[in-house]
Amino acid sequence: MKVRVGAAATVALASLTAVACSLQAGQQASVAPDPPETALVSDPEAEVRYVDPGYAAFGDQHLTTVGVRRLTESQYRNTIADVFGPDITINARFEPERREDGLQAIGNVRLSVSTTGLEQYFSVARSIADQVMADERRERIIGCQPASVDDRACAESFIKSRGMHLFSRPLTDGEIDARLAIWSEGAQQKGDFHEGLKLALVSLLVDPEFLFRKEYAEADPADPDAHRMSGYTKAARLSFMLWDTAPDAELLEAAQSGAIHSSEGLAGQVDRLLASDRLEQGARAFFTDMLHFDKYETLTKDPGTYPKFSQAVADSSREETLRFLVDHLIAQDRDYRDIFTSRDTILNRSLAAVYQIPYPSTEDWARYTFPEDSDRSGVLTQVSFLSLFSHPASSSPTVRGVKLHEIFMCLPTPEPPADVDFSKVQALENGTVRERLDHMTNPGCNTCHAISDPAGLSLEHFDGLGQTRRLENGQPIDVSAKIGDLEFSGAPGLGQYLRGSPLVTSCIVRNVHYYGAGRPFDYKDAAYLAEKGEAFASGGYRMTELYRSILTDPDFYQVIIPDGAGPDDGDAQALSDKPATTGAGQ
Amino acid sequence: MRRTLRQVSCAAALALGGAGVAHAEWSRTYVVEWYEAAMYYGADEGVIDPGTDCPAGTNGEPDWTKVMLEAGYSAQETRWLLDPTHPFRPEGHSTSGQNQMAFRGKDRANVYSQPWLAPDPVLTGVSGSIGEGFDLDGDPDNGFTSPDGSMSGIDNQFYRTLGCWLTYRGPHRQSQHALSKNDEMREGAWTVAIVVSGEGDDPLNDDNVRIGFYNSEDALVKDGNGDIARDYTFVIAPDQRFEAIFDARTVNGVIETTRPADEVWLREASYVRELQLLEAQVRLEMKPDGTLSGHVGGYRPWFDIYKGWIDARGAVIEKLTWIELPGVYYALERNADFSPDGAGGEKTHISFAMRLDAAPAFVMTPGAAELATEVVSYKSIAPPPGKRHRAIPGPLGDRVVDGIVLTKDGVLLGGPEAEIPPPEAESQIASLRE
Repeated sequence: MKVRVGAAATVALASLTAVACSLQAGQQASVAPDPPETALVSDPEAEVRYVDPGYAAFGDQHLTTVGVRRLTESQYRNTIADVFGPDITINARFEPERREDGLQAIGNVRLSVSTTGLEQYFSVARSIADQVMADERRERIIGCQPASVDDRACAESFIKSRGMHLFSRPLTDGEIDARLAIWSEGAQQKGDFHEGLKLALVSLLVDPEFLFRKEYAEADPADPDAHRMSGYTKAARLSFMLWDTAPDAELLEAAQSGAIHSSEGLAGQVDRLLASDRLEQGARAFFTDMLHFDKYETLTKDPGTYPKFSQAVADSSREETLRFLVDHLIAQDRDYRDIFTSRDTILNRSLAAVYQIPYPSTEDWARYTFPEDSDRSGVLTQVSFLSLFSHPASSSPTVRGVKLHEIFMCLPTPEPPADVDFSKVQALENGTVRERLDHMTNPGCNTCHAISDPAGLSLEHFDGLGQTRRLENGQPIDVSAKIGDLEFSGAPGLGQYLRGSPLVTSCIVRNVHYYGAGRPFDYKDAAYLAEKGEAFASGGYRMTELYRSILTDPDFYQVIIPDGAGPDDGDAQALSDKPATTGAGQ
Repeated sequence: MRRTLRQVSCAAALALGGAGVAHAEWSRTYVVEWYEAAMYYGADEGVIDPGTDCPAGTNGEPDWTKVMLEAGYSAQETRWLLDPTHPFRPEGHSTSGQNQMAFRGKDRANVYSQPWLAPDPVLTGVSGSIGEGFDLDGDPDNGFTSPDGSMSGIDNQFYRTLGCWLTYRGPHRQSQHALSKNDEMREGAWTVAIVVSGEGDDPLNDDNVRIGFYNSEDALVKDGNGDIARDYTFVIAPDQRFEAIFDARTVNGVIETTRPADEVWLREASYVRELQLLEAQVRLEMKPDGTLSGHVGGYRPWFDIYKGWIDARGAVIEKLTWIELPGVYYALERNADFSPDGAGGEKTHISFAMRLDAAPAFVMTPGAAELATEVVSYKSIAPPPGKRHRAIPGPLGDRVVDGIVLTKDGVLLGGPEAEIPPPEAESQIASLRE
C-alpha cells in the first residue's frame, strides 16, 4: 500500500507544484481547458504535468480558467469546519500571504506553494482525514454505513458530496475515479473501508482544485462570441466574499440550476447571504485584510517602555476592532464614515487596563463609550491601529500617517530613500516627536511627509501602545495639524477630517470590489467605481448596501480571457483587451 | 493609586451610565501583588550569609543520619532511607520526600502529627534587635526596633522564631518561600483587592480613613516584565470570611490604623492561604508612583503555622528547607506571646507582621455595578459559607495526612511497622529504573 499511496501523493504533489509554478509567473489563467480523460496525467517529458480537469461531468461545456488565488488561512479553516464540522482541529502554520495594491486578496493571485508549504498541506490533510474517519465522527460525516470493505457506492457518495463542497463544484468523472482508485487500493490492502477513504480524502485535500480558488469562464449561451463567469465561480465568489468560506448547498444548487445567472436568482442569493449571521465571518475576513492585521504576526513592544503589552493585549486589540466594525457596520448597519468619529467600542478587561479605564462588566466583552474628553475617536484611536503602526518603543506619526492614507484613503506612499538619517527622530529622550521630525522642513522629504505626518502628529496623544498621554519627555504634546487648507486638532479633529473625505468613501468602495474580484485596481474601472461610490452615498454609506450594490452588478462578474487561453483563441485574444461583460441576467 | 473620588466618580459615571454613588470624599484602589512575612534580613547580600539577624547565617541542613540513628533506626536502615533511590514515596514524588522520615518519634510515632513525641532540636532563632511590624502590646520596651530606628517595642515573635530558617530568610521579595507562594497568587490562585477611602480634603493627611481588603475572583495579570500589570479591574466577590476593614488615618500618605481590628481574616502567600489576625493593624504607604506598600500585623494562631508546614508534605519540607519540623513546633510554642483569653490564658497566638505590596487597580463593587469608592462591608450579601466559602486546598489536597503523602489509592507507603528495606523494594526499584 505504501507504494500506491506514495504514488498518489506524488501525483497530487506534482500537480500542485505545477499549478504553483504556473502561478508564480503571475498568470491569471494558466491551464489548458480541454477536459482530459483522467484528472492527473503523467507527462513523459516533464515527468508530470497538470491538466485542467474541465467539467466533463457537465456535458460539452468548455471552460477557461480566468483567475486563480490561493485559499487564505481563514478560508481554509472555515471550509473545513463547514464540510466536516467545527470540531475538526487544524494545527498548522500557513504560509504567509502577499499584499498587493493594499489587499492580500489581490496579492494572493500571485501566490504559490513552497515545498515546505506543500508538506504542511499534506500534514494537515492527513490530520483532518484522521479526525474525519475517527470512530466518533465518521458515521455522521460519511453519510452512509459501508456494507463491506469494498462498498464502492458508499465511498463514491462520500467523495462526490464532500468533494463538491471542497472544490466548490461537482467533481468530474475523472476526479471521482482517481479517488475511488485510491480508496479501493487502500481499503483492500488495509482491509479497512475507512482507511481507504482516508487516503482518498487526503488526495482531495491536497488537490489544487481545493487549495486554490480557480475561477472559470464559459461560453455565454446568449452570445456565442462572448464569455461569462461560470455559475459555480459566481457562487464561490459570493460565498468567499460574504462568508469567507466555500459555497453552501443552496449556492451550489443555484449554480447547478443556472438560477445564479438570472438577476433575480443572483439577488436572492446575495440577500440570503447578507441576511445570514455568517456575514460577520466574511466582514471580519475583509477587515482583517484591509486593516493589515497580518502585521499582528510580527507585532512586538519593548516591555520596558510598554509593560502592559502582551500577547493577550495584542489579540484583544485585534478582536476589539473587528467586533467594533462588525457591530457598527453589520449588526447596526450604521454609516461607514462614523467609524472615524464614534466613541463607542467593545472591549475586554485587558484592553480596559491599556485604556486606563475600569472594566464595567463581569462578562468577557462589554460595550463602552469613551468620555468626550478622552480624545478617543473611532477606529484610528483603538489600540489595534495605534500599536500596529508604531515602533516597538515609541509612537510613529509618520508610520501612522502613511498607513492611514494607505488603508483608509487608498493613497500609498512611496518607500523612503535609502539614505535617510533617522538618528534625530530616534533620539527618544529629546522633547516631543514633532520637534524631532526635521523632514517636514527638508524639501527632499517634505513631498510625502507633508501629507503623512500631520495626520500622524494629531494622534500623538496616544503612545506606541495606544495609551493616553499628554506629555512626552515632560513636554506638552502639540496635536494640531494642517492638511491642505484644513486645520484641526487631535484625534477628534482627524476623525472629522476623514469622515468628510471623499477619498475615504471611495477607498472602501474600491477595497470591497477588488477584495471580491481578486485583481488589482484598473483605471478602466474608474467610472464603475464612481457609480458604486454614488450608490454607496445615496444608501447612507451602509456596508450592507455596498455589498449588495457590487455583488448584484454584472460588472462584478466580468471575465477577462487571458492571452492564448480559452476554447477559441481568437475570441480569447479579442477579449483580453477589453472586459467581456456578460454576467448575471444576460 | 487610582485617583481622587471626584475624578473617579466622573470616570465611573461615564463608564457605567451614571450609576456611580459616592459618600467618601476620596478613594484609592489597589490589588495586592505581593505578600511575605516581615523577616528583616540583616546580611549585606545573598540569602544565607551571616548578618545581624542571624550571626551564624541561615540555619544549616540537619544531619539526617544522626537524626535517624538517634530515632532508633539502624545504620543500615538509615543508609537505605536516606538513599534517594530507595523511596517510600508515592507516584510523582520520586525525587524528594520520604514518608518514613515521619516515623522517628518515640516508638516510631509520626513526629509531624505528634511533634511532642520527638526531642526538641532547639531551632536557632533571630538574635538581632532590628525587626519589622507593630508594637502590638503597647510596651515600647519589649520587642524589636524598626530598621530606621523610629519605632521600638515591635512585637514579631514569628520573626524571632523562624527568621533564620532557610525558607523565610532573604532580602525583600527574594526569600524562597515568598517567591514560590506569591507566584501561586500571581498565577491566579487568589486575589485581594483593596479600597481606601477618606472623609477629608487631603488624602495624604486625613483623620477619617477606612481601608478594606476584599476577595475578588478576577485573576491577577502579569505585564511584559513579569510584574503585576497596573490598571486592571477587579470586581469584589463578597465573602463572609475574607473581608477585612480597618479604621485608620493618613499621615503624609501613610495609612495607620487608629484602632486595632479585633479579628480579621486575610490571605497569606503560604501553604495555608488563610490568615487569622487578632488585634490587627496596618501601616501602608500610598506612594507617589501609585503603589501601596507596607505592613499588616497582629497575633496569629501559632499551631496553624506548624500545621501548614506539615500539610505541605512534612518530609519534603524538611529536606528542601533544611528544618526539623518538630523544632518549629517547639520554638513556636515557646515563643508564643498572646492569649485571646487574657494574660493568664494559654498562648495560642504569636505576634506576626507581613509585608504587603499592592498595584494600582480599578475595583468594582459586586457584580461590577460601579466603582468601589467607599469602604463598606459586603458580608451581608455574601453567599453562605457552606456554599461558597471554601478552604483552598494544598497542592495535593486530601492526599496529605499527618504530613505524609498517600498514594492515589490512599495507601501509606511506610509506617511505624514498616520493614526496611521493604520486601517489595527490589521490584519497586527495578520498575523505577526501567
